[in-house]
Amino acid sequence: MTATLEKSPAKAGPTARKRPGRRWTRWIPYAILALYALTGGIGPLLIDYNPVYTSLPDRLLAPGSPVSSGATAWLGTDGTGRDVLAQVVYGARTSVLIGLATVVVSCVVGVAIGTLAGYFRGWPDMILARGIDILLAFPAILLTIVIAGAFERSVLVVVVALSATAWISFARVTRGVALSIRERAWVDAARVLGVRPLAILWRHVVPFTAGPVVALATLEFALVVLAEAGLSFLGIGLPNSAVSWGQTIANGKQYLATAWWISAIPGVALSLLIITIGILGDQLTARYGRGHVR
Amino acid sequence: MTRYRALRRTALAALAASLALTACSTTSGGSSGGGRDITVAGTYSIESLDPASPSGGGATGTQLTSKALFSRLVRPKADGTLEGDLATEWTPDTTATQWTFKLRTGVKFSDGSEVTADDVVASFQRFIDLKSTNAANFTGYTMTASSPAEVVLKATKPDAAIPYKLAVFFVMPKRVQGEDKEFFQHPVGSGPFKLEKFDSAGTVVFTPNSGYYAGAPKVTKVTIKKMPELAARLTALKTGEADLIWGIPDDQLPQLQSDANLTVQTVPSTAVFTMWFNSSIPALKDAAVRRALWQAVDFATIIKTLYPQTGTLSDAPVSPVTLGYSPQEAQKYDPAAAKAALQAAGFDFSKKLRLQFANAEFRQFNQAVVSDLAKIGVQVDLLEKEQAVFTKDLLAMNWDVNFQQLSNPTFDGANTLGRLYTCAAKRNGYCNPELDKLLAAAGASPDKNERVRLYGEASKIIWSDAVGMFPMAVKFAYAWNKNLTGVVPDPNGLPDFSTIGVSGS
Repeated sequence: MTATLEKSPAKAGPTARKRPGRRWTRWIPYAILALYALTGGIGPLLIDYNPVYTSLPDRLLAPGSPVSSGATAWLGTDGTGRDVLAQVVYGARTSVLIGLATVVVSCVVGVAIGTLAGYFRGWPDMILARGIDILLAFPAILLTIVIAGAFERSVLVVVVALSATAWISFARVTRGVALSIRERAWVDAARVLGVRPLAILWRHVVPFTAGPVVALATLEFALVVLAEAGLSFLGIGLPNSAVSWGQTIANGKQYLATAWWISAIPGVALSLLIITIGILGDQLTARYGRGHVR
Repeated sequence: MTRYRALRRTALAALAASLALTACSTTSGGSSGGGRDITVAGTYSIESLDPASPSGGGATGTQLTSKALFSRLVRPKADGTLEGDLATEWTPDTTATQWTFKLRTGVKFSDGSEVTADDVVASFQRFIDLKSTNAANFTGYTMTASSPAEVVLKATKPDAAIPYKLAVFFVMPKRVQGEDKEFFQHPVGSGPFKLEKFDSAGTVVFTPNSGYYAGAPKVTKVTIKKMPELAARLTALKTGEADLIWGIPDDQLPQLQSDANLTVQTVPSTAVFTMWFNSSIPALKDAAVRRALWQAVDFATIIKTLYPQTGTLSDAPVSPVTLGYSPQEAQKYDPAAAKAALQAAGFDFSKKLRLQFANAEFRQFNQAVVSDLAKIGVQVDLLEKEQAVFTKDLLAMNWDVNFQQLSNPTFDGANTLGRLYTCAAKRNGYCNPELDKLLAAAGASPDKNERVRLYGEASKIIWSDAVGMFPMAVKFAYAWNKNLTGVVPDPNGLPDFSTIGVSGS
């Protein structure tokens, strides 16, 4: 046991990791994501939009039509004459914010529970791991709908409802990582030196979960954005005063034959975001994932 | 990896769904099978077949099936006048407290037994005992059989609206007692149809009652398929899966009207968009405030753009086909005057009003109202609620403004004006002893013209005190396959299938 303590966790693993080809195409997902972030971040500053105000004379205008105020509705208007472009832009902000909030909440909860269960084993692990198994037995979307449906519609309820199931995968992955890390030499050494268990967890175990957790977080983000749109589509997500892609898609449902742009444009925006994050998540999993993502 | 694959699948599904959300319910056509079978796309959920059931008896779906399975004493026609069903004649005494109904002879239930006065009396007793929402119209009333072919209904007070109110009373064999679940699995009635199948998924199948007193219906089978989704109903009609649909919004009417295989008709209904103000809260206690809010909304434009074919600006709290209709002076749209009036009345612009409604089909209308109010600085929280929650909150007065499409299956003002606007009703926080007196007098007078006059005066108070906003009289749009004959659009959304035939087969 005279092995030297390695300081950098990055060198800990076997170095068999293959670098994906350095083709320019792998930057596409990043570029698209940056575009979404930019749209969601800056767009609302440039486009003025309030979902409360309707403009009935301008309803159901096709993309590119002039509206009564003299402006142009580049992506058309919806059933109450509100601009679809503005809804897509404001919806991007909503989706990204809700996605981030939910992923952060579930990540913190999931990593805390997962590492505790994995590191301490014994009865805490027993309780937490079985608890996770029980929650996994529920269809996630059902649990989300029950929680979201039971309370009045608000952003907080949506984040809580989505986090209620999203943390489970984080917990499972980090538990697996913690189980193997706790057997490593540097953890033993720290324990022998008398470092307190929580400090060991924080300094010697948690950093090693970063790779898989980041990979998982991207995948979860995509699922959360999709689930939020789903809840809003069903009318139990965000309140009417918020702008959400799910709501816009639902509003255009009855106009598919006559005004396709209401549902189709936010639908395409949503799909593109999900697919992009999926590809990105795949890249990250290939680099940092441990092959046992769920 | 499986997770990624699942994700990719979800993503693809999302793409597919967003691009092609059009109804995917394209099962094999319904009408192609049997020559004279028709399929109807059900707008309402049908959970019970018992019209007296305390839980679901008053539901629109149950009223629809009851019309097919059972007979009533009298029933309203599409224009609001009454016609005899089981009764051939009905006469009040001088004070309209006691009504005598002469029964049609030789009417048989679908099991072959005769319909007698005892059946009518027993059905009425059961209807009262089960205390459904509709039975509240008859609290304390008693019915007796004065001869095998005559029944007498005694009211606790003069009630001229009794024949109209009886539109919700259905006759069944006297052996049915209490909540007889067994009976309603295989109900026996004297209506035009017999039940072939009813499942909780919402499919109801009727076959003609060959012994129906007015002659068996011409169709061989009527199937009501539950299709709560509008897009699904429209697609079903176009593909021929359904032969008759109704409750079609204006935005969808042109595409149906341009289809050469379809007939589209609208019919003035008893329904009025009713937006009560909660007069019991301090902010809306003052009639001047309520009038100003009404004045601030440009209902004429909203109706012209959202309901060009099925909506007309209402000029009374009840619709033109209702007994008691009396046109009032229109509220003029004037946002500047409205704002000034609100400021003069000391209205608190920083407080938000809660506007509640149920049903996505009314979302655009309410959004437009909220938008107009926002333009003069009145903030409104638009709360779209699930039907059950909405009803609970409605009765608990847990709202500031309440939107409802208020229809009246009895065609008589007693059921809306007389029932909802009294102090005792406690439905909208408004209380005016003078109005109570008028409504009581209108409900008690045996003279029809006198009743119309009294309801007119009551309407004037309700209208000018702005107990609510009454923006729009509603027409119902029906669309059916060209080869159907004899379809009569019903003003209450409860079409009668017995008159329908199928041509060219």
